[in-house]
Amino acid sequence: MKYTTFNQVNNNPLTEPMFFGNPVNVARYDQQKHQIFEKLIEKQISFFWRPEEVDVSKDRVDFQKLSDSEKHIFISNLKYQTLLDSIQGRSPNIAFLPIISIPELETWVETWSFFETIHSRSYTHILRNLFGDPSSIFNDIVENAEIKKRAADISQYYDDLIFATQLWQTLGEGTHLVNGVNHTISMRELKKKLYLCMNSVNALEAIRFYVSFACTFAFAERELMEGNSKIIRLIARDENLHLTSTQHILNLWAKGKDDPEMAEIAEECKEQATQIFLNAVEQEKQWAEFLFQHGSMIGLNKEILCQYVEFIANHRMSAIGLGQPFDVKSNPLPWMNNYLSSDNVQVAPQESEISSYLVGQIDSEVNADDFGDFDL
Amino acid sequence: MSKNNDSFMVTIKDHKTVEHSAPRTLLETIELHQIEIQYHCREGFCGACRSKLIKGDVEYTTDPLAYIDDEEILPCCCIPTTNIEIELAK
Ligand SMILES: [Fe+2]
Ligand SMILES: [Fe+2]
Repeated sequence: MKYTTFNQVNNNPLTEPMFFGNPVNVARYDQQKHQIFEKLIEKQISFFWRPEEVDVSKDRVDFQKLSDSEKHIFISNLKYQTLLDSIQGRSPNIAFLPIISIPELETWVETWSFFETIHSRSYTHILRNLFGDPSSIFNDIVENAEIKKRAADISQYYDDLIFATQLWQTLGEGTHLVNGVNHTISMRELKKKLYLCMNSVNALEAIRFYVSFACTFAFAERELMEGNSKIIRLIARDENLHLTSTQHILNLWAKGKDDPEMAEIAEECKEQATQIFLNAVEQEKQWAEFLFQHGSMIGLNKEILCQYVEFIANHRMSAIGLGQPFDVKSNPLPWMNNYLSSDNVQVAPQESEISSYLVGQIDSEVNADDFGDFDL
Repeated sequence: MSKNNDSFMVTIKDHKTVEHSAPRTLLETIELHQIEIQYHCREGFCGACRSKLIKGDVEYTTDPLAYIDDEEILPCCCIPTTNIEIELAK
């Protein structure tokens, strides 16, 4: 079906499926088929932040004090995160927008992607502070074998869906010969590609970020690189919201609350979905190995980081009905929770200096509790 | 809305029974008794504290955005309105 930027069919968006129905026409939010996406949009907008609001200048001094192996850990993680957000800043838009059929989901995807571009901008902010000219770091992202391996695995599901959608939009269902290769396009296959892609995005935001988050917060536990940690906390808060959105999409499908064919596909492809998750876990463990190849950092080593990946994976997988395949009972890095809590994002006492006027205002709010032990 | 001075008993499967009183959230009550519970956002959008409600009723203080199944609750943003029995995620 050819895409149109304003579908002139007078359809009822309340009866459209999330994907592969009519293209969206009127961007209206007074009524929603799935109210959750409207709520997520509001929440995400309320999280708005700018990287420049966070003063990272003290990190430059801290960075010089890090050992070579710690520098390797810090910079490698930033490269990996830059890769992830480069992909996430464009891919949900390009892969999902052409096939979305309800306005609240369309706007959620646009809002989500926009925040990914804030994340990308924040890496430039961090790196520019550390190096002045961060070109060599950025250039290495397309050279480094460890990072390229991950990029290929993540973009594969997006690229597959995007290509199939393009063929469907221009040539429709059927078998099409393109550059000497036959491609069979059917709605069922398109929906399967969408299902697998959504699982891959879910796994990405569920666990792929957490090895590097753990390293960042382990530095912060030692009061090092705290400007960076403040930024990563803001990013982690956004990522949690993104994760919630793909969990909702997957569960709406699986529970038959949207397109009934997607419920069948969810059942049919459960094994593949599980495998996508398990592969991501495996790759994250390999990443931990790569990070610590020149030595560990205080408070963190490869073993404990791998346990943490398994612990997080159990939680994330059970949220979408994939069970808890790993045998880790308690949280191996309990201090992580303090950094992942929204309470601590805005006003934590040990926070590094914040330079902006806007955030300064928030910080100057004083709680009666702050003076609990203060006697006049 | 329940009255602010209400207090209810919370039975946590495989742990113990504790008393909940306002204005704490259910999560804060569980933490107060040193029972390990997973949490991240503490405001209902991440789902890390997702637990099973076996008996009784709760009321949300913040609209929960995280995905929860019919028999599940988010302790970080709810309070009991009756005596309740819950099971924490493993
Ligand atoms: Fe991001
Ligand atoms: Fe994200």
